[in-house]
Amino acid sequence: MAATKGFFTDTTLCIGCKACEVACKQWNQLPDDGFLFSGMSYDNTVHLGGSTWRHVAFIERPVPLSTQDEGAFSWLFSSDVCKHCARAGCLESCPTGAIIRTEYGSVYVQPDICNGCGYCVVSCPFGVINRREEDGRAWKCTLCYDRLREDLIPACAKACPTESIQFGELNQLREHARERVEQLHERGMQEAYLYGASAEDQPGTEGLNAFFLLVDKPEVYNLPPDPVAPAKKVKEAWMAAGAAAAGMALTAIAAVLFGGRRV
Amino acid sequence: MSPTVRYRNSVDPVYTDGRDIDPEVGELAGEGAGQQSSGSIDKHLKDEMQVWRNLPMPQPGDSTYYDVPMLNEPAWGWAIPTYYYIGGLTGAALVLGAAAQIGDTRRREKLIRRCHFIGLTGACLSGALLVYDLGMPSRFINMLRVFRPTSVMNIGAWILTGASGAAFFTVALRGRKSWLGVAGEICGYLAGLFGAGLATYTGVLTANTAVPAWQASRKALPVLFGTSAMSSVGALFELTVENAEERRLTKIFGAIGQAAELASSIAMEKQARAVPRVGRPFARGLSGFVWRSAMALTAAGFVLGLIPKPARSRRLAAGVLGTLGSALMRASVEHIGTASARDARASFQQQRAGYGAAELVKREN
Repeated sequence: MAATKGFFTDTTLCIGCKACEVACKQWNQLPDDGFLFSGMSYDNTVHLGGSTWRHVAFIERPVPLSTQDEGAFSWLFSSDVCKHCARAGCLESCPTGAIIRTEYGSVYVQPDICNGCGYCVVSCPFGVINRREEDGRAWKCTLCYDRLREDLIPACAKACPTESIQFGELNQLREHARERVEQLHERGMQEAYLYGASAEDQPGTEGLNAFFLLVDKPEVYNLPPDPVAPAKKVKEAWMAAGAAAAGMALTAIAAVLFGGRRV
Repeated sequence: MSPTVRYRNSVDPVYTDGRDIDPEVGELAGEGAGQQSSGSIDKHLKDEMQVWRNLPMPQPGDSTYYDVPMLNEPAWGWAIPTYYYIGGLTGAALVLGAAAQIGDTRRREKLIRRCHFIGLTGACLSGALLVYDLGMPSRFINMLRVFRPTSVMNIGAWILTGASGAAFFTVALRGRKSWLGVAGEICGYLAGLFGAGLATYTGVLTANTAVPAWQASRKALPVLFGTSAMSSVGALFELTVENAEERRLTKIFGAIGQAAELASSIAMEKQARAVPRVGRPFARGLSGFVWRSAMALTAAGFVLGLIPKPARSRRLAAGVLGTLGSALMRASVEHIGTASARDARASFQQQRAGYGAAELVKREN
């Protein structure tokens, strides 16, 4: 098994060029999203989905960055992607075993197995995977599995002109990311922090294989502040179901014992 | 898929399949190349691309991304809440049938048969509804290629398979002479066991998601679905069975179910409202209306059913109210989930209030 690979997306380096979105569409031969105008800054893809595996968010803030000399406005860009969680909600919920973990530690949907039940869609705490109606199956980022097999790096990371998207072995990426945060702090950008870099940072997902460097609250980037793989909480629901089932059986027996007699 | 004309009314309509790859130049071989697309845009754009009702104005400290949904909304159509209802009815009927098999059954033979018959028919209908809702119905059997305890849906598929198998054999064999009859009898009990699972696992399935309102009510949802299944059996018997003896028995089962259904509805709403924003779909919009209507119908059915020795018309009315209440409740849970998934602030506020992973970490320490 190869070492766990992943992305480190440094949003402070992102210039919002969308080369990653284009490279992803092009390499993976995904259909377009309709070329619509959303009215939200320069973001016309809006959200990750069945045929959108990279999405650049454009955040127009009426607040300056701490390193900014003038102006009361800052513009944040962030290229969002499937996080390939160490504990993945979609993978755990998949009833057919179509969603697997690959030798690179990524989460992969096998299109020849998926039957389109839609359970992964509601199980992803980030709203990444989605079912495409025309196709009927669930789709998401594959971490360019086909490219990794040929020792190439994913198309988005390859296309990124500023190295905002960095691809590599997860351990090295984490180390590098921590250095980068320190560097930014030294430069006065105190708000820089890592999102989902380790299991301690994000216990609900036990760490993301695609983690981020952010400079504002996760909500600003449409990321959940404390996501959790739903199956971590399922025990309580099963216990309630057990109690309900037992109650139902007891009621049925009581009804048979006391209801059948003529009064 | 054949390409479609896009922007038909524009001065420059486009003829596209969404990819526009010339087969003489490029080969379709990418990871997403198998994705079916006709180029039609309204097929995959749901409410994400809605026209602005009021323009988003960024505020300092307002932490959302243009109020765009953070989660993808449930892809399930009408067939799934219908299945919740039918599957619940099936499960509870099988439980009642198994309970009625205990002891001296001479006077209950008709009831037992009816329960098993409802169980078998319901299980077949349930399977059909589930297959219908799949994106790839021809691959429904893939559910049974693995056994995955982490996937509630996989366990559910096995429960439904077990329930329908057991119901079939008990209908076919029970009452026969020799060991076949004994096998039929055992299958009846087995069907009851699977039935109890069938009536309640759907609550676990719904709760085991990232949708804030569903996840918040995970302790109540399975109980609500289970009790509602009991009340739907009671209501169905009120409607269809003329035999007073049988009905006396199902009435007790159904009325207790209805009372418990109302109680667990209130409990579920209370759990969700621990974070006000998460509880919002219970009170507002279409989801709130359907939820409240379902509760009112169930309550009305319950009260009407309490009147002793009712006239036939009143009995039928109670049955209709109970059935509608149960069925609408499932529909409202689906609506609540969709509304909740669309509301990014619900997720954010839930997690900020300590109901994300923090809840689990706190418990471990």
